[in-house]
Amino acid sequence: MATTKLRARTAVRSGIVLLATAVVAALTGCSSGGSSSADSGAPTGTLQMIVSSADGSDAGFRAVNAAFEKKYPGVKIQFDTISNANYPSVEASRLTAGKVDLLTAQPLQVPSYAEGSESNDAKLAASGQFVDLTKEPFMKRFTASVLTAQAFNGKDYTMPTGLSYYTGVYYNKAIFAKYGLSVPTTWSEFLKLSATLKADGITPLGIGGKDGWPAGLPTLAAVESAYPTLAERQQLAEDLWKQKVKLTDSTMEGILEKTSTIYSLAQQDFAGVPYASIPGDFAAGDFAMTPDGTWDNAVIASAVGSKFDIGYFPLPMSEKASDNKFLGGKVELRLAVPTSAKNKTAALAYLDFFSQTKNYELFLSHAGFAPSEPGITAGAFLDAISSYTSTFQPAWDMVWTPNNKAGTAAVVPFDYTALTPLGTSTASQAAQSAQAAWAAGF
Amino acid sequence: MTTTGSFPFARKGTMRLTFGAGIAILAVFGLVPAVAVLVISFTDITGLPGIPIDWIGLRNYLEFFSAAHLGDNLNALRNTVVFAGVSTVVQVVGGLLIAVLLNQRLRGRTLYRAIVFMPTVLGVTVIGLIWSLIFNPSGGPGASVLALFGTHSAFFGDPNLALGLVIFVQIWAGLGISVVIFLAGLQAIPDELYEAAALDGASGWQRLRLVTVPVLAPSITTNVLLGIVNAMQSYQLAYVLTGSANRATQLLSTLIYVQGFGGTGGGVAESQGYAASISIVQFVLVGVVSLIALRILRRREARL
Repeated sequence: MATTKLRARTAVRSGIVLLATAVVAALTGCSSGGSSSADSGAPTGTLQMIVSSADGSDAGFRAVNAAFEKKYPGVKIQFDTISNANYPSVEASRLTAGKVDLLTAQPLQVPSYAEGSESNDAKLAASGQFVDLTKEPFMKRFTASVLTAQAFNGKDYTMPTGLSYYTGVYYNKAIFAKYGLSVPTTWSEFLKLSATLKADGITPLGIGGKDGWPAGLPTLAAVESAYPTLAERQQLAEDLWKQKVKLTDSTMEGILEKTSTIYSLAQQDFAGVPYASIPGDFAAGDFAMTPDGTWDNAVIASAVGSKFDIGYFPLPMSEKASDNKFLGGKVELRLAVPTSAKNKTAALAYLDFFSQTKNYELFLSHAGFAPSEPGITAGAFLDAISSYTSTFQPAWDMVWTPNNKAGTAAVVPFDYTALTPLGTSTASQAAQSAQAAWAAGF
Repeated sequence: MTTTGSFPFARKGTMRLTFGAGIAILAVFGLVPAVAVLVISFTDITGLPGIPIDWIGLRNYLEFFSAAHLGDNLNALRNTVVFAGVSTVVQVVGGLLIAVLLNQRLRGRTLYRAIVFMPTVLGVTVIGLIWSLIFNPSGGPGASVLALFGTHSAFFGDPNLALGLVIFVQIWAGLGISVVIFLAGLQAIPDELYEAAALDGASGWQRLRLVTVPVLAPSITTNVLLGIVNAMQSYQLAYVLTGSANRATQLLSTLIYVQGFGGTGGGVAESQGYAASISIVQFVLVGVVSLIALRILRRREARL
């Protein structure tokens, strides 16, 4: 009969459905295998590592990782590189899941007047989520001034993989030689040089404005020249927070005006050009100079090849040559070990291995960072700029703490994104809107 | 056969089981997170382990509506409304016209339908990459075409043009779905209606206006609603094409992403509690707009 057949089939069907539901439930509850860790002795197991991505440093890490795995065959490094924009969210999800043993972090100490504006990494360091590395023997290998610059509450929670400088410009030595130009040391000399280039039909500067931040590098250079010492920059930050100076004061507005001038010397429609196109366009001779950081020297060198020689000098935004003598920089990628790491042994062994001279030099040869250890051979490019980097000077963005309660126009706080052609304002309009946004945060 | 129960399924224990499982999954992965977002919008949670979480009441909402952030929020809101409005209208109208065209007996119409639908199949990242390359001012195809006319443009870098280009790419990517939904609706219209209208002396355009559109009203409702809700929340294209910090194309969803997870140069990341409060504001906004749209469209449908 039809009904008995139906009942048997129903039983089979419900059995299959139950099985399917059980499988789905089991799969959703399943997670990937964890890593084993040894308590002491030689490192073994999986080492889960995430870093903020950049072509040079990625290659450097991969080279060191291969050497590490060769030395410790029991360790398997799971290495992930994440783009800068996505890094904060990946860091958060991995830390919450407890699936990371080694990561790049930037806990910046916030001065007392700016309490409440700590970045997430600073909050993590303050709540003890990073292993305290101060007493680790491998930290002794690093330059003292660098360790001081990156200390948090007097302790070292991160290992500095190197330094980068970014208030200067790369320049095409062949073009300079062709028109008899020499490296400018004052703002007027720079303007004169750019006028000569323009008159000869050469675009003076190339900027990758689409990504936003590359157009901010000349602004940082302007602050560097207007406030040449670290103490002056720290004082400026404090004065702004305590509202003793305004963003509409003449020096502040002057910074935006000089940035505007720089934009007028850049290539046509640079606001739409992506940062990644710049090395190729520079190699093609589309422009004579490009404001960029020393982290990019390996990429630019490989794009240019043997077409012409490359040099680098600080962008002179002041009339006094002595103000333009040094490059501002930052401590580059800093490696930290979370206290929730499952394989601390391997992570600490990796840090020790990384900071050994031979391996560190291997890393630097790919990454293009300046060394944060003394006595390391830096490579031809960095040697050439050593006069500009004899003292390590944190640039403005390393000294300044933005206020989350203020508007976004006051983040830098010199709002270069509002200037034409990135935005639609003049320097004085941008200064006024930044000041309004800043004052609204109090 | 006896019925042993009423809702949801009489007698079918199997169906009750699977229905229940489906509702459970929806509740766990849909409803619970939504309620959780509402709850955390009253805290300063950062999403990172070990950092203390405090209940701060309405402070996040007050900060969102504070004078300091008002400028940025209104900018994002305006961009979102323009983006949603223009892309929905063009997608629906354009989709309808293209669907009517592709409903005719054309040679190779299957090929044309496939071509129209293809952008929908591509992922957001691929679309973003393609159009970023096309609109690269230093030597991309877009720049070459403009050079033929003797002009130039910064495309996504031009603050006056950026939003328009993003809307264009959004329409390009979403037209396929509208066309498919309209085609399905069109094929359900009986030919007798058209024949009757033709006998009464209606021209092609009148047939479209007086027969096709009214009968297609449910499809139009679907498309407009889908378009509005999708466009008000989608930020992926704007993010891939112009980044998250570009004021000219910053949408409400991008604002949430930047506030919750930080963005390069986009400012300090606030707590995820703050991002959750912006999400709730967006939810209310999208909800209100959708309800109004639904009301209007249902009324037009009922008139048929």
